Amino acid sequence: MIAPFELVRAGSLAEALELLESDPEAHVLAGGTALVLLMKQGLLRPSRLIDIGGLAELRGIRMNGDLRIGALTTHLEAERSALVRRHCPALASCFGTVATVRIRAQGTVGGNLAHADPAQDPPPMLVALGAVAVLESGAGRREVPMEDLFVDVFETSIGPGELLREIVVPPLAEGARATYVKFLPRTEDDYATVSVGAVLRVDAGGRCADVRVALGSVGPTPVRARRVESALRGERVTPARLREAAMLVREEVDPIADARGSAAYKREMAGVWTERALRALLP
Amino acid sequence: MKLDHSARIDAPVERVWAIVSDVPRAGRLVPGVGPVEPLGADRYRGTLRVQIGPVRLDLAGDIEVTSRDETARTAALRLDAADHRLGGAVRATMRLALTQATPSTTDIRIETDAQVLGRIGELGEPIIRRKADRIVSELIANLAREASS
Amino acid sequence: MPAERLLSDLLRDDLGLTGTKIGCGVGVCGACTVLVDDVPVTSCLLLAAQAEGRSIRTIEGIADGDRLTALQRAFITEGGFQCGICTPGQIVSATALLERSAHPAEGEIRDWMKGNLCRCTGYYGILRAVRAAAEASA
Repeated sequence: MIAPFELVRAGSLAEALELLESDPEAHVLAGGTALVLLMKQGLLRPSRLIDIGGLAELRGIRMNGDLRIGALTTHLEAERSALVRRHCPALASCFGTVATVRIRAQGTVGGNLAHADPAQDPPPMLVALGAVAVLESGAGRREVPMEDLFVDVFETSIGPGELLREIVVPPLAEGARATYVKFLPRTEDDYATVSVGAVLRVDAGGRCADVRVALGSVGPTPVRARRVESALRGERVTPARLREAAMLVREEVDPIADARGSAAYKREMAGVWTERALRALLP
Repeated sequence: MKLDHSARIDAPVERVWAIVSDVPRAGRLVPGVGPVEPLGADRYRGTLRVQIGPVRLDLAGDIEVTSRDETARTAALRLDAADHRLGGAVRATMRLALTQATPSTTDIRIETDAQVLGRIGELGEPIIRRKADRIVSELIANLAREASS
Repeated sequence: MPAERLLSDLLRDDLGLTGTKIGCGVGVCGACTVLVDDVPVTSCLLLAAQAEGRSIRTIEGIADGDRLTALQRAFITEGGFQCGICTPGQIVSATALLERSAHPAEGEIRDWMKGNLCRCTGYYGILRAVRAAAEASA
């Protein structure tokens, strides 16, 4: 049983922001898949929910050089969007790996990011793509690089009175390729044991011109694998070099033991799957 | 759920012991702890607020020093606290031991055995463990800072 | 209607539409699947208020009176159910799939249907039923 609460439907973004500002204890309701579950479990007992589900300002996917995905876009819409698929097929496919079709039909991209469960799929892919979160409050708008959005388990840098409005995904550079791989040895839930979002650009001389790697499920937030990146940038990309670099990720992750694997197993798999992701991106 | 923390603190063992054996003073070094009120006879009442993202736990309960050895510089505590709003409780025993490493440094070991009961358990042991680990680590860091200042 | 009312409870208890089942209650099993604006959602994780003003289709609304759909007939002929508790959710999910994609590939069927758990059939009969219904509309 969910404890009784007041549901206030925001008629506009401005109204939603005013409501948030006047009641910092109120929680925001978008799709509700994460929020309603937490309330059913009794872990969250807000006295008021601000329903932003009707806000047209937060809907829609558009292109203006960058891909801009409104926060209320469902994962199903994002997965199936021709714009997303053209801009970055790996990102569309990543949205498609989230949970089940029902959760994807109901849960929003913005809600997923705001929920900040470390095992979610979109965050590491978005970090690898260099995406930016656009936050809005009564004081104006600010942009936060995706990797700075996540602070801790279930904790983001979205401030009180702020709403995540859209995510901006820059285009892949010419010749760059991206992928998202999800290692799911158990199906008890649909969260990965380890997942890797990677972007790789190899120049005509076979050298790594650019690389970005981020991992999910192996730390309290997505882990940007900087050591792996440094080991590859500027170097000739061979399978052996990829393997050497990928194994460095084992020092960068901080997994916890749970039903999806022991910490040691996840650490080892982080290396294995980073290598597989990068190998898949070789020209 | 068992935790085991060890650290070396840059302060003489007598100084560290003086702080940890003063329960209200040590309590202030735990992140999220409210004022600790003595109830007499090595018993205290206190509160602890723990935040895991949007989930907030407001634990209130008792602390009892179940054993103390001034010479060996060891102590044991029992904690018993509940969050009546969420419906859950935490029961823990902590064993603390200080040993002199050098005349100016101290080795501290804290062994914690905690049980989480009720709704709070819905967060899952891994998340709770990580948070508990974080709290004890911060306690030790704060203790080190206080003892060496 | 209280804000905390879940769609699943509204359907079952207030409207008497007990075809929608409550299985796990945490959004995983799919027994509570209903269509809101033609997409499958987890009615046990949706506030009834969130469905306001939107079209809702439950298992009771799939057949046309007594005339079963091709999918429902296929569930019978292909052995897509045993105890039947997951069946409303299976049929509602599959209906939405076939409305979007008349001839889904095997991988598409499996991915769409993977959120509807079944303890009895081992899934073979369910997949056969969805395939048969897709072929029947060819």
